[in-house]
Amino acid sequence: MPKITVDNKEIECRDGIPVIQAALEAGWDVPHYCYHPGLSIVASCRLCLMEMQMPHPKTGEMGWAPKLFPSCQTPVKDGMIVRFDSEKVQANQASCMEYFLIDHPLDCPVCDQAGECHLQDYSYKFGHAESRMVESKIVNPKKDIGPRTLLYQDRCVTCSRCVRFADEVSGTGELCLVNRGSRTEIDVFPGVPLDNALQGNVVDICPVGCLLDKDFLFKQRVWFLKRADSICAGCSTGCAIRVDQNEEVVHRLKPRYNPGVNDWWMCDEGRFGFKYVHDKKRIVKPMLRRGKEHETPVWDALSDIVEYRFEQHVAKHGAASVGVVLSPMMSCEEAWLLAKFIRKIAPESTVATGFVPVEGDDQSFPVGCKPDEAKFTIRKEKCPNRLGVEMISRQAGGEICDFDTFVKKAGEGAFSAMWIVGGYPNPWVPKPLATAAAKAELLVVQDIFENALTAEAELVLPACAWVERDGCFVNHAGVIQPFERAVVPQEGGRRDGQYLFEMAGYTGLFTADRVREMMAEDLSQFAEIAELVPVPVHQH
Amino acid sequence: MGGRAKVPSGVVMIRDEDIIVVDEPDLSAAERLYLPQILGGMRTTFRHMFKKKITVQYPEQKRTLRVENYRGVHRLNRDEKGRVACVSCFMCETACPAHCIHIVSGESPWEDREKYPIQFDIDELRCIYCGMCEEACPVDAIELTPEYHLVGLTREEMIFDKEKLLQVFDRTCEEKPRKNPRITGYAGTGDRPALPPSGGGH
Repeated sequence: MPKITVDNKEIECRDGIPVIQAALEAGWDVPHYCYHPGLSIVASCRLCLMEMQMPHPKTGEMGWAPKLFPSCQTPVKDGMIVRFDSEKVQANQASCMEYFLIDHPLDCPVCDQAGECHLQDYSYKFGHAESRMVESKIVNPKKDIGPRTLLYQDRCVTCSRCVRFADEVSGTGELCLVNRGSRTEIDVFPGVPLDNALQGNVVDICPVGCLLDKDFLFKQRVWFLKRADSICAGCSTGCAIRVDQNEEVVHRLKPRYNPGVNDWWMCDEGRFGFKYVHDKKRIVKPMLRRGKEHETPVWDALSDIVEYRFEQHVAKHGAASVGVVLSPMMSCEEAWLLAKFIRKIAPESTVATGFVPVEGDDQSFPVGCKPDEAKFTIRKEKCPNRLGVEMISRQAGGEICDFDTFVKKAGEGAFSAMWIVGGYPNPWVPKPLATAAAKAELLVVQDIFENALTAEAELVLPACAWVERDGCFVNHAGVIQPFERAVVPQEGGRRDGQYLFEMAGYTGLFTADRVREMMAEDLSQFAEIAELVPVPVHQH
Repeated sequence: MGGRAKVPSGVVMIRDEDIIVVDEPDLSAAERLYLPQILGGMRTTFRHMFKKKITVQYPEQKRTLRVENYRGVHRLNRDEKGRVACVSCFMCETACPAHCIHIVSGESPWEDREKYPIQFDIDELRCIYCGMCEEACPVDAIELTPEYHLVGLTREEMIFDKEKLLQVFDRTCEEKPRKNPRITGYAGTGDRPALPPSGGGH
C-alpha cells in the first residue's frame, strides 16, 4: 500500500485511487463538487486543487511545484508529498467559492437543499461572507426537466455530475451541458425528458440545490428529518438506504454507500415505493372472527389465543395438517420466530416459502450493458428476502416446499390449519390459494392490506411495513444485511417481530440483535452479522 | 471513599463535607409576643392607603404599552400586494423553543415567489411569547403585536391559523406598521473584510 504525506502527516492509502479520495478517507475535508467516486473524473470545479512536490527538471531535487494540481485527477504514488493547508491552496478555494456564488440567488430560506448543501458548507468553511459582485445577477427560471425532477439553473455550479451520471451509470444520456463559459447550463435534449429508472440519483449527487425532487419539494426542511439506516425492500438487490422521517412520517429514501451491492445508487421504484406505508387502508388491529362478527383482542391476550387454537387443532387433526407460509417480505428474525412457534406446537408441520412477486426481467444499467458488467441492477424479484426465508424454512425442518407446491397441496386439502403471511404492497393472492384457504378450519393471515385471504381468516394479524420493523434481509447474492426501524407502527399496531416474539414464548422487548443471537445457535451465518451495524461512509 | 458502592452514571451524590447544619436561633421575649411584627406590617399597609394608586382597572382601563417591543399575539404580515408575506422557510418553526408553530408549505401561485405557506398554525397556548420567531424571520413576516387580551373558550380556538393571524395584522397594522424589510442584498456594507491575497497558480 502506498504511503503519501498530506499536510505533513503520513497516511497509508489504497493503490490507484486519486489523492482526494485518500485524503477524504483519512479524514481531511477537501472541498469538491465535480469529483464523485462513482463517476468519471473531469477536474472541472477546481476546488480540490492542492500543492504537490515534484522533482526539479534540471537538478532533480524535490520542491513544491509552481502550479496547483487537481487532487481528484492525480493518482496516489508512494512517497508523494502534497498539502491542502497552504495559503495558496486556501486562496484558490476562497476565489473558487466567490466564483460559484456570482450568480447564485442566495435563496437558501426557500431552497430544499439548505441544510445539506455544499455551497452553504463550503462557503462557511472555505469561502467568505461578502461578494464583490456589483453587476445584476443572471436570473434563470427553473426548468421542468422530467416527471420527477426540477432544475433550478441559477443554483447550479456546473459540476456536471448529473450529466456524467446519465451518461455513465444509467446510460440513458438525457442530460447535457449547453452553451459555453458563464452561460453554461444543464438541460435535457428537446422532447427527451429526464425519465429513466435511476433518475432520482441525480438529485442525490447534485451537491447544491439545483436538481430537486418534485416528490419531496417543499415538504420538509432537512434539519427536521431523523434518519434510520435501512435496506430497500423493493427488490432482491437489497440496496442500502437511509429512511428520513419526521414525526413518524417517512418523507424520503436516500441511498447509502454499500460497495458491491448498490454502490452509491438506488432505483426510482425503491425510492418512491414507500407510499403504501402511510396508506389509510392498512390493517392496524388484530381481528378475531366470532361467528360473523370481528372483534379486536387485546395484544397481550393474542399469543394465548393463537397457541390454544393451534394446540386444539393439532390434538384433533394431527400436526401434519398445519401449513405455514413464510413471506419473503418478512425479515429473517420474524420468519425464524414464526417457524419456531409453529414447529413447537406442530412438529410435523410444513413451513413453506411464500409468494415471490416477479415483474418482467432484471434491468441492468447502463442501459444495454451485459449483466456482468452492470453498474446497477434492478431485479425482477420484487421482494427483499427470498433467500433468507428459504434458509429459515430449510432449517425449520419438515418437508421443503415452495409456494406453488404449497398451493397445490393446499388445494388438495392437505392443510386444515394455515398461517399465511403476506405483507406485499400490491395485491397478490392467487385464486387457488384463496379457494383452498376458504376451506381451512383454522386460518391465520398476517398481511398489510385486506384481501381475499383476510376476508376468510379466523384471525387477521396486521403486518408492518419494513420501515416500521428491524431485522435483516438476505439479498439475491446471499449477503445478510441488517436494517433499523425508522418509524413506529401505525396507531393500534404492533411490530410483527414483537407479537411473534411473544408467541414463540419469549418475554420482554423484541430486538433484532437479541433474536439474531438466538438464531445463531441454529444458523451460524447469522452469528457473523450479529454485531454488524451499518457504518456511514463519507459521501456527498 | 473506599467503601462506597459504585454510583450509577448521571447520579450526583452530595458529599458529607458539603452539608452545613444550621441551628435556628432562640427567640427573645419581644419576638415571642409577635405584636411588634404585626404592627410593623400594618404600618406599611396604612402608608400605602394614602399613596398614589398603581392598580389598573382592567378591562375598563388599559395600560399604555411600548408598541415597538411588546410581545403579544402574533401576526402574519401582508406584503404591499396584500398577500401573505411569509415565504415558508420554517426558520420560525426551527427557532421556536416551545414547538408551537406548524407550517405546511407548497408551491406559491405567484410568479415572483417560490414557496408560500398553505397552512400556518400557532398554538397560542403553547407559545411562551419569547419573540424568537420574529428574530428568525428573514422577511419580517411574523411579528408580535401589542395585542394581549387573548381569550377563547376552547383549546382549538387558541390555535391561530393563517387567516386568523392575517386578521391580527389587519387589526394592528395601523398601531404598529410593518417594518420595511431590507431586501437581503448582495451589496457590501462598506466594512467588508479584507479578501485573502490573490494567490494560486491559475
